[in-house]
Amino acid sequence: MADGMLLLQAAADTANAYRDFPWIGSRAAVWIAAEVHLMFAAFVLGVPIFAVVAEAIGIFGKDQRYDRLSKEFTRLLLIAYSATAIWGAVFVFLLSTLYSGLWAYLTRIFGPSMWVYVSIFFLESFTLYLYYYGWDRWKYGRAKIVHWCLGILLNIWGTIVMFIADSWLTYMMTPPRDITPQTSPASIKIWHAILNHTWMPINIHRLIGNVVFGGAIVGAYASYRFLASRSDEERAHYDWMGYVGNFIAMSALIVLPFAGYWLGREIYQYDQSLGITMMGGFMSWLWVIQAFLIAVLFLAGNYYLWVGMGRIPGAERYQPYTKWLLVVLVLGALVWGTPHTMIADSRELAAMGGSHHPLLGALGVMSAKNTAVNLMILATFLSFLLYRRANIRPTVPWAKAGTRIQAAMFVIAAGVVLFFGIRGYFVEAIVRIGYSVYQVGAVLACIVFVTLIDVLMARGAQSLGAIQWGKMPPRSQYALFILAVTFTWLMGLMGFARSGIRQHWHVYGVIQDMTPYAATPALGYAAIMISTCVLIFLSLVGFIFWLGGLAEKSTFVPSTVEAPHVGH
Amino acid sequence: MWATNLRIIGVVLGTLALYTLIANKIPQVQSEVPRALSLGANVTPEQLVSAGDQLYHGAGGCTACHGLGTRAPNLLTDEKGQGPVGARCGKREAGKDCKAYLYESLTSPRAYVVAGYEPIMPEMGRILSPQQLWALVAFLESNGGTVDVSASDIPSSTTSTTSTSSTPSAGIAGGSTDPMTIIRGAGCTGCHKINGEGGAIGPDLTHVGSRLSANLIRESILTPDAKIAKGFEKFKGIMPKMFGNQLTAAQLEALVQFLASHK
Repeated sequence: MADGMLLLQAAADTANAYRDFPWIGSRAAVWIAAEVHLMFAAFVLGVPIFAVVAEAIGIFGKDQRYDRLSKEFTRLLLIAYSATAIWGAVFVFLLSTLYSGLWAYLTRIFGPSMWVYVSIFFLESFTLYLYYYGWDRWKYGRAKIVHWCLGILLNIWGTIVMFIADSWLTYMMTPPRDITPQTSPASIKIWHAILNHTWMPINIHRLIGNVVFGGAIVGAYASYRFLASRSDEERAHYDWMGYVGNFIAMSALIVLPFAGYWLGREIYQYDQSLGITMMGGFMSWLWVIQAFLIAVLFLAGNYYLWVGMGRIPGAERYQPYTKWLLVVLVLGALVWGTPHTMIADSRELAAMGGSHHPLLGALGVMSAKNTAVNLMILATFLSFLLYRRANIRPTVPWAKAGTRIQAAMFVIAAGVVLFFGIRGYFVEAIVRIGYSVYQVGAVLACIVFVTLIDVLMARGAQSLGAIQWGKMPPRSQYALFILAVTFTWLMGLMGFARSGIRQHWHVYGVIQDMTPYAATPALGYAAIMISTCVLIFLSLVGFIFWLGGLAEKSTFVPSTVEAPHVGH
Repeated sequence: MWATNLRIIGVVLGTLALYTLIANKIPQVQSEVPRALSLGANVTPEQLVSAGDQLYHGAGGCTACHGLGTRAPNLLTDEKGQGPVGARCGKREAGKDCKAYLYESLTSPRAYVVAGYEPIMPEMGRILSPQQLWALVAFLESNGGTVDVSASDIPSSTTSTTSTSSTPSAGIAGGSTDPMTIIRGAGCTGCHKINGEGGAIGPDLTHVGSRLSANLIRESILTPDAKIAKGFEKFKGIMPKMFGNQLTAAQLEALVQFLASHK
C-alpha cells in the first residue's frame, strides 16, 4: 500500500516536473537554446579580451591601426550582446517551462546568484555602451587611459558573469559529495554548491577557450571583409587583421590543453566512474573525433602561415622546410587519432584479435599521444618562428650562435619529448602520467627561450623588404573560415562531452532525468545537433557582420608604414 | 561578390557536413538509462540471467572497464588462468559463496579489489536497484558457474532505480543488531581493522572509542567525509556514504555504542 502511494506520488511529481516541446522534443529545444547562447556568450566574452589587448597595443605601441581594430570589434559586440541576451532568455524560458522541476531545484539553491548575475549583466551592458560610444570622446591623454580601463572593467564584469553561470552547470555535473537525493535544496548553502570540484577548472578552461574563439571569429570576419574588399588598401588592412586573429587563436589554443588536463583530473578525482565514462566509456570515440578536429586546426593554422610566407620577401629561404613540418603534423595527427581502449562487442574484439589492435594499439596509449601532440606544438611554433623572421636578417654579432642555440633548443625539446614518450611504455601508469609534465615543460621552455632569443636577435635587424599585406591568395582566407567553423564545432562537441557524462542525471547522483530523453545520445545524433547549432550561430554572426558593415564604413586606415608582426 | 558568398557558404556547409558525416560513420554507442525491473515471485533463473545480460552490456556500463583487460578484471572470459567469473567467484573469499561475493562486489566494490587493479569501480548500489543487482549476479554466475539466485533473494518489487530509495528496509546483515555481524555484513573490514581483523585502508577501529565520542562515530558513519582522520586524507571519498540508508536505526545505534565502548 505504502509502495503504491509512493509510486503515485512519484508519477505526480514527474508529471509536474516536465513538459514536452513540439516536433523536436524538449531535450533538442533546450540543447539548441543553451548551445547557441553559449556560443554568443563566448563571442561577447572573448572579443572584449581581444579588443582591450588591441587597444593597449594601440596606446602603448602608438599604433592607431590597433585602436581602430579594437573599435571595429566593439561595434560588432553591441549587436552580439543583444543576440546573447535573446538566446539567454529563450534558454531560461525553455528550461523553466520544459524542466520546471529541475528549474525549481536550481533556483532554490542558486536564486541569489541569479539576481547578482542579472545585475552584473546590466552593468556589463552599460559599460559596453560607455566603452563604445565614448571611444571618440575619450581619445587622447589621460582620458584614453580611462577609456582603456573601461575596457578592462567590461572584461571583469564579463568574467564574473561567466563564473556565476559556470557554478550552476558545474554543480549539475559535480555536486558536492555530501549532497544526496534526500538533501533538501533549501538546506544547501550557496557557496558550498558554487565551490564544487569542477567550478574553477571550467572557469579557467572557458576563459582561455573564449580567447581562442574570439580570435577565430575575428579571423573569419577579416577574411570575409578581405574577400569583399574593393581596393588594395582595404585588402591589406583585412589581411593584417586576419593574421592577428589567427595568431591570437593559435597562441591561446596551445595553452588550452593544459587547462583541459586540469579539468579532466578534477573530474576523475571527483568520481572515477565519471572520468571513465568520459574517456573510456560510451564517449571514447568522441576523443577520436576531437583529435581529428584539432588536427584540422593545426593543419589549417599552419597552412595559413605557410601561404602567408608568399607575401614576405626573404621567406623563400624557409619554404623548403614546410614540407617536413607538414610530415610531422600529419604523422602526429594520425597517432593522436589512434583509438586505444574502445567499447566493443565480442564479435568486434575477435575481429581485432583482442581488446587492442595488435599493431596500432601501441600508438593509442597516452605515451604516444602526448609525444605526438607535443611534437605538433613544436612544429607549429617553428612555423610561426620561420614566418616571424622571414623578412629580416639579424645583424647582432652573435646571430649565428643565437640561431644555433635556438636549433639546439628545438632538438633538446624534441629529444626530451621522444625520450619520455618511449620510456613511458616501460613504467607503471602512475609514473607515466608524471612524464607528461616533463614533456610539456620541455616544450614550453623551448617556446619561451627561443622567443626570447629571437626578440633580442631581431633588434636592429636588416629588413629584406616590407610584408606585402593584401597579397594573399583567396584560398588562404578560406583556411580562416575552416578554422572558425572547426573551433565552433569543437566547442559544441566538448560541451556535449561535459554535459553528457552526467548521463541520465540532471544533477549527477542527485536528481535523475525521468523524461523520455534521459538516455544520452550517440555521437551521430550529437553531431547533427552540434552542426545545427553551429549553422544557426554562424548564420546570425554573418548577419551581424553584414549589419556591422551596413551601420558604419569599415575602419581600415590607409597606412604608409609597414604593419608590424605581432610580437615584434 | 555573390560568387564569393556562395564559396564561403560552400566551405562552411562542406566543413559541417564532413564533421557530421564522420561522427555518423563511427560506431554509435548510446548511454542507456538503467530500466527498472519488475520481477515476480516466480521469476526463473533464465529470466534473471537474461535481464542481467542486458544490464551488463547496456545501461550497467560494465563493459567500459571489464573485458578490456586493462582497467578491471575480465569477467566473461578467462582471467589469469582462473576461468570466467562464475568459475572463480566462489574461491575468492574464504567462507563466502559465489552469490554473496558477487553481490558485495557490486555494492561495496572497494572491499574486494583484485590485486593489480585500482579501486575505480563505483558502488553499483547507488546506480542500480536491488532487482537489477541480483539480475547482474545471476548473469555473472551463469558465466562459468551455476546460477543460484532465486526470487527469495530479491526484496519486494519497487520501480525506483536509485538504491538509496530502494534499499531493503531490513538493513544490512538481515537486520541483525549484533555489532560484529553488522561490521562484517557492511564490508567495514574491507578497509578497517578491528580486533586484528580487516584491512588497513581506513583507520584502525580497535580503540576508536578512545579517540572519538559516540556522536563523532555516528557522524563518521553517516557522513564519512565530514572529518577525515589524520594520515588518511588521501582516502577521502572512498568510504561509502549510504550506511545512513542501509542501516536500521537500531543497527546504527548498536554499532555506535559498540565502537564507542572500544577504548
